Amino acid sequence: MTVAVLDPHEVRIGRRQAVAQASALARRSIRGTIRQPQVWLPGLLFPMFIAAVNTSTMGKAVEFLPGFEGVDSLLDFLLPASITQSVLFGGLTAGSDTATDIQTGFFDRLLASPVSRTSILVGRLAGASVTGAFQAVVFMAIYGAFGVRVAAGLPGALLLIVYAMVLALVIGGFAAMLALRTGSAEAVQNVFPLTFIGLFISSAFFPTSSMSGLYRSIATRNPVTWMVDGMRHQVIVGLDWGEAATSIGVAAGLAVLAIYGAQRALRTRLRRAA
Amino acid sequence: MTTTAIPSVAPSERSASWVPVAWALAQRSLVTTLRVPAAVVPLVAMPMFFVIAFSGSFSRLSDLPSFPTDNVLDWFVPFGVVQGAAFAGFGTGFGTVRDIETGFFDRLLLAPGSRAGLFVGPVIASIVRTTFTVAVVLALGFALGATLPGGALGLLAIWAAAMGMAVIATGWALGLVFRVPNQRAGPILQIGIFFTTFLSTGNVPLPDQIGWTRPIARLNPLTNILELSRQGFLGDVTWRTTWPGLVAIAGTTAVLWVFAVTGLRKLTP
Repeated sequence: MTVAVLDPHEVRIGRRQAVAQASALARRSIRGTIRQPQVWLPGLLFPMFIAAVNTSTMGKAVEFLPGFEGVDSLLDFLLPASITQSVLFGGLTAGSDTATDIQTGFFDRLLASPVSRTSILVGRLAGASVTGAFQAVVFMAIYGAFGVRVAAGLPGALLLIVYAMVLALVIGGFAAMLALRTGSAEAVQNVFPLTFIGLFISSAFFPTSSMSGLYRSIATRNPVTWMVDGMRHQVIVGLDWGEAATSIGVAAGLAVLAIYGAQRALRTRLRRAA
Repeated sequence: MTTTAIPSVAPSERSASWVPVAWALAQRSLVTTLRVPAAVVPLVAMPMFFVIAFSGSFSRLSDLPSFPTDNVLDWFVPFGVVQGAAFAGFGTGFGTVRDIETGFFDRLLLAPGSRAGLFVGPVIASIVRTTFTVAVVLALGFALGATLPGGALGLLAIWAAAMGMAVIATGWALGLVFRVPNQRAGPILQIGIFFTTFLSTGNVPLPDQIGWTRPIARLNPLTNILELSRQGFLGDVTWRTTWPGLVAIAGTTAVLWVFAVTGLRKLTP
């Protein structure tokens, strides 16, 4: 398909207009997600199922194994892991949708219109971030119904929401980068096993102190461990700004890298299209 | 694409033997697997990952009071083997979707041969694929430090459990694919296998399970199949642990193969 692409240098958009465009694209992203329950529902249900099964099958671990000090129930321990798992899976949707926009030609129509190029990316990532906040609220509400309390109270709950939003930018950014580079939704979905591996070889499901050898060594160096442990501290021990800063800081650092990569991929695609 | 408009051949007209059809389909499935490296990866990579991840993440589960071994690999390697067998069977059955979508399956239904070949072929392919998976996962397990005090009988027990699981998973996949003849069957198949494996004694023995999964795991036939597969890794092989596993395989196979056969009838009214 051949489209008339406006030269990025000729697209002069005011800041207010760019924000309005990004906001409209973010709303479109959120609406698109809501309208596809088959896409986002598994991302909510699967982590809940894993947590429910693990709490039942391995619940005794909190009494007998190291690393569970102060933990009343394995479900408390798994709340930050479930949020992380759900946001990681959900963030891939943002990337897939970008790829779908490319495949269906919607992306080309955007390029042919006087839309700020940055708004295209910002809109999609903002949508993913809002979805991440929603996921965190859903998990806290449902796990709360089963007795999980965030020890850090309301500030802790807000920190979990912020963490989920920043994490959504990380995975959304990487997925968008891949989508812009390949233009294939399938290629984005192929990242799913990698996120699963990254999650498994971390402290998400079990504490690193109950692991051993090389596996423990990798898990303790995995950024997922740093992010999850900081949030877990808010849930189990109580409010700790240092732990929260580590967790959200790591996520923010990865988000900067991911968004930078996505921005570069967007520029490359624009150059190719021009 | 639909297959319903194609007239099927009456059973009385299907005089040709099903054996060549079964062999041809099995060979075709295996050649397809070899030609698509991406299809080989989940066959071995997934069970290998599960063995490494489960034994790494949950290495201290052996400290639980009722855990039957100090070496967590002796617990998780058989689980990885059985899971790998399930995915090998699922993969073979799911391959039929492609044949249905491309119209190749329609041509098979028009052929005068017995339809038994359409079932036996995928089973043969599943068994060959599973043998490969079992060999690779066991090699990894032993390399990491798993032990087999049950010796040759233990090896026979895990092989029987894996083959049984492959046949069961093939029946499940074919039954579902005949009812949902498109790619959407994939997630349903996977979820079915995940639910069955997680709601069993895959991770933790029954006495150490404390919640709602315990009664389900007790009734889940996979629990007995896992006991059959694990016994050689946990000690001697005994008839007392073997027969419930064999009964579970026979019973589940019968149910799921009725599901598969009735599914084919639905596909060709």
